[in-house]
Amino acid sequence: MRILVVEDDGEAAAYVAKGLREAGHVVDHALDGEIGLSMAGAGDYDAYVIDRMLPKLDGLSLLTQRRDHGDETPALFLSALGEVDDRVKGLQAGGDDYLVKPYALSELLARVEALGRRRAAPSNVTTRYEVADLEIDVITRTVRRAGRKIDLQPREFRLLEYLMRNAGTVVTRTMLLENVWEYHFDPQTNVIDVHISRLRSKIDKDFPKPLLKTIRGAGYTISDEA
Amino acid sequence: MIQSLAAYATGLFVRNKKTTPARRKKAARAAKYAASTANKGVLRLLRTTSFQFTLIYVLVFVAAVTILGLYLYRATLGVVAVQMDRAIDKDMEVLAEIFTEKGEKTLLEELDDRAKWRDGSLYMLIRAPSGAVLAGNLNGLPPEAFSADTGFFNFTYERDIERTEAAPLVETRQARGKIRRFSTTPDAESFFLVFVARDSSERRVLSQRLEGIIMRIVITTITLGLVIGLLFSRSILKRVDAVNKTARAIRRGDLSRRIELTGGGDELENLAVNLNAMLDQIERLMTGMREVSDNIAHDLRSPLTRIRNRLTDALASDDAAKEEALNATLRDAERMISTFNALLSIARIESGEGAGAMEEVDVCAIAEELAELYEPAAQDAGFELNLKASATPPVKGSRALISQAIANLLDNALKYAEGGSRIFLSARAREDGAVVLSVSDDGPGVPRQDRAHILERYVRLETSRTTHGSGLGLSLVSAIARAHNARLSLGDAMKSGGGLRVSLVFPSLETS
Repeated sequence: MRILVVEDDGEAAAYVAKGLREAGHVVDHALDGEIGLSMAGAGDYDAYVIDRMLPKLDGLSLLTQRRDHGDETPALFLSALGEVDDRVKGLQAGGDDYLVKPYALSELLARVEALGRRRAAPSNVTTRYEVADLEIDVITRTVRRAGRKIDLQPREFRLLEYLMRNAGTVVTRTMLLENVWEYHFDPQTNVIDVHISRLRSKIDKDFPKPLLKTIRGAGYTISDEA
Repeated sequence: MIQSLAAYATGLFVRNKKTTPARRKKAARAAKYAASTANKGVLRLLRTTSFQFTLIYVLVFVAAVTILGLYLYRATLGVVAVQMDRAIDKDMEVLAEIFTEKGEKTLLEELDDRAKWRDGSLYMLIRAPSGAVLAGNLNGLPPEAFSADTGFFNFTYERDIERTEAAPLVETRQARGKIRRFSTTPDAESFFLVFVARDSSERRVLSQRLEGIIMRIVITTITLGLVIGLLFSRSILKRVDAVNKTARAIRRGDLSRRIELTGGGDELENLAVNLNAMLDQIERLMTGMREVSDNIAHDLRSPLTRIRNRLTDALASDDAAKEEALNATLRDAERMISTFNALLSIARIESGEGAGAMEEVDVCAIAEELAELYEPAAQDAGFELNLKASATPPVKGSRALISQAIANLLDNALKYAEGGSRIFLSARAREDGAVVLSVSDDGPGVPRQDRAHILERYVRLETSRTTHGSGLGLSLVSAIARAHNARLSLGDAMKSGGGLRVSLVFPSLETS
């Protein structure tokens, strides 16, 4: 993926760029809003990572201007402002995701990749997902593994659906909490882990090959790879 | 008055001290200053809105009084004048009739007769073109008669007061009348001029008196209006000055000052009440900010110091120790981040930010969702999480905040209810429409004497110092409760006195 990072804190930007490059992405970096705007206009990027508070042109205006030009590139806002109102403002300006500082690099990486995948996905909505011998149908709400039907609670189904939609990439606990439960706070208890282990006991336990994997220090992923 | 007082004061000053030229100069300057401040005061009064309003009122009033006066004048003296003119016309007609029907001799007799009545009527019969006065009670035709055509004219004449032979006492009086030509045939060479008039002096006097009255009313209105306006403005200015004085004191840094209330309940009082409420809010925010910075200083300084010392030591140690130090530092950093986030959240919730996002929410549904989210984790930790939720009426609130509060309470229960086995999350409607949300556990509970200050920021009971967490969970819940006007209380979970029960009582929609 080609990613444009617009961030005025040089050190933070270098850290983010390094992390994204190590994950195999091409990263360009702009130090202020105006440069970011012209770079976004000139280059063909797969995702934007934009800090909300930037010199010369703030992140919200930058993205609003790009959206006005018909630029649909998925964008993630980085911000020190994390209340619900701020999030809403970010999404209203055309942002696709919102990450509050301070964040873990693994969180940013997972989210940027989720954005890129959303862009790569075919425009017609997929209703069936498959990973190895695990398949789910969003319409009929059925889950099968190796042809065997598995019964899931509604929330477990949504959890699995989210993981399947992002199959092959890491999703973080926060992403799960935000997308499956729609909460934006940080629980002190390992609530997500327990839900995952319950789900795992249903879809992986009786089968030789585990698909739902824990990525240490980052989150979870469903993938066919070993 | 201020001026004279100042002058008086300077006079005293000058008299008491030995007067040197320099002193005198100084005194003069002081007097001048006093005078200029007095002028400034008056100028300020004149510039006030209330005074300008008063001026407009005075103008409107004067106009009204003038119109009223004119109307009064027309309705009384005006009517009298018209009647008098009619009477003169009538007289003239009667005389004309006598002349045409009975001839000049009868007219002459009639006029002679009438001239003796002394009823204020004035007559004159003149033969033209010779100009001989045939009859009448006027000494001579007034000069105005020559210039007047056939219409009415005003003139003055002299009347004897006493008919003494030696020196006739005369007075000049006002009169009004008209003159008409009587002739037998239209083109006859000789004709008569008949002059009929009425004394109008009394009417004049009356009208002058009325004019005077109206003038006096107008002047009184203006004076009274201005005086009342000035007094009124001064009283308003005094109250506004009180507000200004408070504002200046606050600007100088004394945020505890408030505008004095007069208890009048008028609009200025209302303004003062609102300003005071605004000041309260500002003070609360300032206090909140100060507390946040104090807390940050307090709670972040010690881990920062710890990190620095650890890293300093690590630099001089071997690799294993370095890695251990880095890991410990990472843990510290993460704890600091969560502390920092919690502090900011509390500050923002307390400052009322996000209150705009308040809408009607279903507490029961939120409780159900949270129970579902926490149930597996509770079970994992060895607790049975029971949900006792019955349908509740909607309350005004934020889903995000209420769910965060429940999550924090459940986190706390899982963390602190050591030895317990059950956690209850309940949401129910009270009879008065309030919604009670509570989380209880059967753990060790909180000693009664600690309950009051457990809600304060940063107070973590000593026995639980080692547990993970920012220690701000309950403070955050408390802030969320305040943002919802909800009452937060701690109690025993069980009748026997064990466990801890934290309840939030949300006011019903009508009372919130």
